[in-house]
Amino acid sequence: MKTPVWAAGVCEGVHAAGSRDVIYVPDNPLSHVLREFEERYRDIRLTLATREEEAFGIAAGLYLGGRLPAVMLQSSGLGNSLNALTSLLTPYQIPVLTIVSMRGDEGEWNAAQVPMGRAVRSIFEAIDVPHATVERADEAADTVRLVGKTAFGTRRVGACLLPRRVTTAS
Amino acid sequence: MNRIEATRAIVELAGQAPIIASLGHPAYDLFAAADRPENFYTWGSMGLASSIGLGLAMARPDLRVFVLDGDGSLLMNLGSLATIGLLQPANLVLVVMDNEEYATTGGQQTPTAHGADLDAAARAMSVARTATVRSVDELKRELGTSGGPQVVVAKVAESAPTAKPPLDCVFIKQRFMAAIHNPEPATFGQPLPQSQP
Repeated sequence: MKTPVWAAGVCEGVHAAGSRDVIYVPDNPLSHVLREFEERYRDIRLTLATREEEAFGIAAGLYLGGRLPAVMLQSSGLGNSLNALTSLLTPYQIPVLTIVSMRGDEGEWNAAQVPMGRAVRSIFEAIDVPHATVERADEAADTVRLVGKTAFGTRRVGACLLPRRVTTAS
Repeated sequence: MNRIEATRAIVELAGQAPIIASLGHPAYDLFAAADRPENFYTWGSMGLASSIGLGLAMARPDLRVFVLDGDGSLLMNLGSLATIGLLQPANLVLVVMDNEEYATTGGQQTPTAHGADLDAAARAMSVARTATVRSVDELKRELGTSGGPQVVVAKVAESAPTAKPPLDCVFIKQRFMAAIHNPEPATFGQPLPQSQP
């Protein structure tokens, strides 16, 4: 199966930002990214977490040990992550490149995904986490790389949002 | 055995090894036992001490990484045991200070006071090396040999904390990262690349 342009771009951007550790909770679109990492990026270590908050905790430990971590999650998991973001990563100035696969935006079919999906940007703003959105598939590599560079350079979490319009387009 | 006695024994065994402490009394006692730069005191993120320790153990396989967790804290993040069982980090030592209560918030009982068994939970998640200890000697014996991952549930009596760790989170992080020899470049500067003549 050919890797979609946006998914190849996410991998390229994560790698170019200097991250070699990706901790994830799986998501349907992100499966393309995971497969691309497995097939083409042997120097990237993929780590499965049972819950998004745990993923950010593992990422914090990796950073303390000198690594530059990325976390990949579905937007529904942002709620699970808030305590880690607000009481660990932000006060300790621990940067994590955060890749968010969106649910609840244009193209959603499941009403249960809509309230959190619609709140994602407001939540990031409320907790003062900078975020950028990949508007087109061919922008993914640059956007992810720049969000990552900014995060690691300034020692604060940076989030990169992947809309369904981009991730589920055929 | 009370918690400060157990903490002192762990600090003594740890030598220069990093110790991640869960927020509240475990962190207070670690500071009281010895304020070492290799201590990472958390002030929030209840439940994540074992995850932070796991990430550090992955990043630094050359270090033996100790985590001082609480029973209430680990109960907030039981999935962490599954991830530790999955990844089998040989250099991770998770000590659960199990006083069977939320001591930091006034002594409300946790489920471990009524039979919840975190040692058995760790074993059920494929952590082969687990133990429950009730004395300082038993604790020292369990921690005395390397090889892990290791989960040790230390049944401890509550002991009132006597000191409070530094509150500056960034200071804690910078000091810790320097002490384990991967300082943040932002803290200490770095050489600039030189252009070729």
